[in-house]
Amino acid sequence: MEEDEFFGEKTFQHYCAEFIKHSQQIGDGWEWRTSKDCSDGYMCKIHFQIKNGTVVSHPGTSAHVQTCLLMEEALELPLDDSEVTEAAAATEVIKYEYHVLYSCSYQVPVLYFRASFLDGRPLSLKDIWEGVHECYKMRLQQGPWDTITQQEHPILGQPFFVLHPCKTNEFMTPVLKNSRKINR
Amino acid sequence: MRQEDISEIWFEHEGTPLKWHYPIGLLFDLLASSSALPWNITVHFKGFPEKDLLHCPSKDTIEAHFMSCVKEADALKHKSQVINEMQKKDHKQLWMGLHNDRFDQFWAINRKLMEYPAEESGFRYIPFRIYQTTTERPFIQKLFRPVATDGQLHTLGDLLKEVCPSVIAPEDGERKNQVMIHGIEPMLETPLQWLSEHLSYPDNFLHISIIPQPTD
Repeated sequence: MEEDEFFGEKTFQHYCAEFIKHSQQIGDGWEWRTSKDCSDGYMCKIHFQIKNGTVVSHPGTSAHVQTCLLMEEALELPLDDSEVTEAAAATEVIKYEYHVLYSCSYQVPVLYFRASFLDGRPLSLKDIWEGVHECYKMRLQQGPWDTITQQEHPILGQPFFVLHPCKTNEFMTPVLKNSRKINR
Repeated sequence: MRQEDISEIWFEHEGTPLKWHYPIGLLFDLLASSSALPWNITVHFKGFPEKDLLHCPSKDTIEAHFMSCVKEADALKHKSQVINEMQKKDHKQLWMGLHNDRFDQFWAINRKLMEYPAEESGFRYIPFRIYQTTTERPFIQKLFRPVATDGQLHTLGDLLKEVCPSVIAPEDGERKNQVMIHGIEPMLETPLQWLSEHLSYPDNFLHISIIPQPTD
């Protein structure tokens, strides 16, 4: 590997393992997923949000249990399964998925994400953007991110939104320079 | 049909939604290579399969996707140096040449993407994707150099052995699969650098289909 390359895939996987260990310690819900037919994999996090903006995340539980807990918190009473589905539809719970994959072409990590209602209907980018809090909107618009486009997830083959890695170079160089100085 | 009943158009073959962002030749090789031409596909105006297909709201989406593939291919071949040295009008010319079926217009720009420094034996890495319908994964794409450390040119067979060994593993008699590019089966001894220069698709990628041997 040449020195001007940022990460090899093995290095990516190593840092992901560290990241996930830390995530587990703070209960942040990131996990590692491997593809069945290959050694590569990606980091994944799912969280649920009620459309009025309350974020609730219960890492380490299955999606359904997460939904039940969410509903119970929102409605302040225990529910059985059928009530959960009804309540979920009525209050519009959105499932957000974040995947961090490695792009071997650009040799950087890439963020893939998608959002859907619990019945599987996907949200458009416009819908997702509307759910972003005002203070984050400004920062995102000024940030180093190039564009967000819809692309096929290279491992799952399904449509996801992707933060284009074009400017990751500009963004990452000062980060890496500093981390090397501090020797993290 | 009433205007209000029509939503986004999409295409399908034998129950499989067709990915518009894949080259049509690749789709045919992968899904219907044994069919007689013309290839019959079904056009839909309703029920867009959101979980399977990317949206294609306009021609600009197709141009953006094409250019993003060309840029990714050049990232692999030349660390993006050639594509980044070009002006916006050259990028436009590449797309317009393809869009208008004007090969000379296309090749005037694309030939620069097919060059490599005199001191090298080929590109840095070969842009390729290998497709099989039998896996969940849509394609295999990895870093692969066209030249070995001893200077020997890597072949198509070398690539397959390295990234999907199960395809050509059986030494006992017949291979179970065909390895197809543009509807033909190149010899496995063909140098990958040559294939990349001469058999790439307009997006500068080698799109390789692994399909079961026909049973006739």
